[in-house]
Amino acid sequence: MKQALTFFPRVLGRSLVVVLRGAGALALVATRTALHLPRLDRRELTRALVHFGFRSLPLALGVAALTGAIVILQAGAYAERFGLRQYSGWAGGYSVLWELGPLLLGLMMAARIGARNAAELALLKVNGQIEGLRGISLDPFTLIVAPRVVATTISVAALSTLTFLFAVIWESIAAFFTMRLPIRVFFSAFADMLWWGDFLGGGIKALIFGLAISLVSTAVGLSASGGARGVGRAAATAVVLSCFTIFALDFFITPPLARLLSS
Amino acid sequence: MSFVATVVGRPMLMLWRTVKAVRRRGISWREVMVQLNELGSASSWLVGSGLAFFGAVMVTIAYAQARKATGNITIVGPAYFQLLVRELAPLTGVLLLAARAGAGTSAELASMTVNEQVEALELSAADPLAELVAPRVVASLIAAPLLILIGTVTATLAAVSTVTFVFHADGTTFMDPSFLTVSDVVCAFVKAAVCGLFIPLAASARGLHAKGGAAGVGEAVTSGVVDACMGVLLLDFLIALGFLLAGF
Repeated sequence: MKQALTFFPRVLGRSLVVVLRGAGALALVATRTALHLPRLDRRELTRALVHFGFRSLPLALGVAALTGAIVILQAGAYAERFGLRQYSGWAGGYSVLWELGPLLLGLMMAARIGARNAAELALLKVNGQIEGLRGISLDPFTLIVAPRVVATTISVAALSTLTFLFAVIWESIAAFFTMRLPIRVFFSAFADMLWWGDFLGGGIKALIFGLAISLVSTAVGLSASGGARGVGRAAATAVVLSCFTIFALDFFITPPLARLLSS
Repeated sequence: MSFVATVVGRPMLMLWRTVKAVRRRGISWREVMVQLNELGSASSWLVGSGLAFFGAVMVTIAYAQARKATGNITIVGPAYFQLLVRELAPLTGVLLLAARAGAGTSAELASMTVNEQVEALELSAADPLAELVAPRVVASLIAAPLLILIGTVTATLAAVSTVTFVFHADGTTFMDPSFLTVSDVVCAFVKAAVCGLFIPLAASARGLHAKGGAAGVGEAVTSGVVDACMGVLLLDFLIALGFLLAGF
């Protein structure tokens, strides 16, 4: 009976501790990265930009193409039903720029960059190489952590612009083939009914998702322990937590951002 | 093109070899139950809460769009519900499952492979495909449609309460099934089942081919998750296209 009575307070307290510990780890990584920004290791930054950003390009463009085609494939039926066929450029563009583009890009980059970053950092951690760096009085944050956080954030934000472009182009192609909508009509609706604030909204969301992926995966990777198993577990945890953080952030930042940037 | 061949081809081969192995060796239903808990019930929290946030955001987006086009958000309710059931909930739900189950499966199998535990299994005359891969495939095939069901329910509840309490409109139109047909539900479940079959296959194909210590494990996890997510998007597109062309 006593067990049953204290069950909810115990679960509540335990999850509160988990949340607070997670928030503390994120804040620590963020502050230390910010403090180390002026002394960033240039070579590591370039390497991380190539590995995280440039090498993700095919994946991001593939996701963009599929997203665009799926949106038109499914939304096209409604556009025809409501007689809004000529507005599908606006509807498709709006949903890709504001929601599906940043969200799907964020999820895929959480899977690719987040898992990789966490696995690499966890490997360094469990092999004692981070302590090794401290031992010879080099700061692991300047050398390893800060460049990755910066590179991931920049990469996701930069990839988002290309993703949007590619997704909209594929939407117009899909609209042409499924609804026989001339490409000129698609893009005139796109250009007339959207403004630069819509692009900026999606870009800002992608930037925030990138920052979230980098902070979460770094915090998870650096707290790994326990050999090869720990490395695999850190990678998996990083993906799951990044995905969840992206969904939660999406929920909290979309309404204020939309209010700020609505024409 | 070679990328598509790798993403689709490897899991297909894996499926073929797993089916052969299971027909020869049988399958451990006890292990299936364990994996059903591991891949299914343990993911329900992630899929449910993730899709609840997603439903609320999609309704906010729909509100912004509807305000420009018609001025009345309740008109788009039934259409939104159909789109959610047919496309958005299955796609986002299986993507989340691909991230979680894909990472977990490839990490576990990769660390078994690099620690030569898989070879130890083979030495003791057990087939790793029948012992390790088959239970995960069966469990995920059963779990994915159920997870999609949970996700659709939480997304709908979140959408209805957002419209009711935030936009002060009649939220129940967002759970109005008047546009919904049998084919929408069938399409959603086909997507979930096919992707549920695909995710553990893609992840284990990468996990069982891991090479070279802890770095190999990290590499296998990354490529396993990417393959699973990419394949899920591709399959979703192909199934949607198939249903559209069939006019169903």
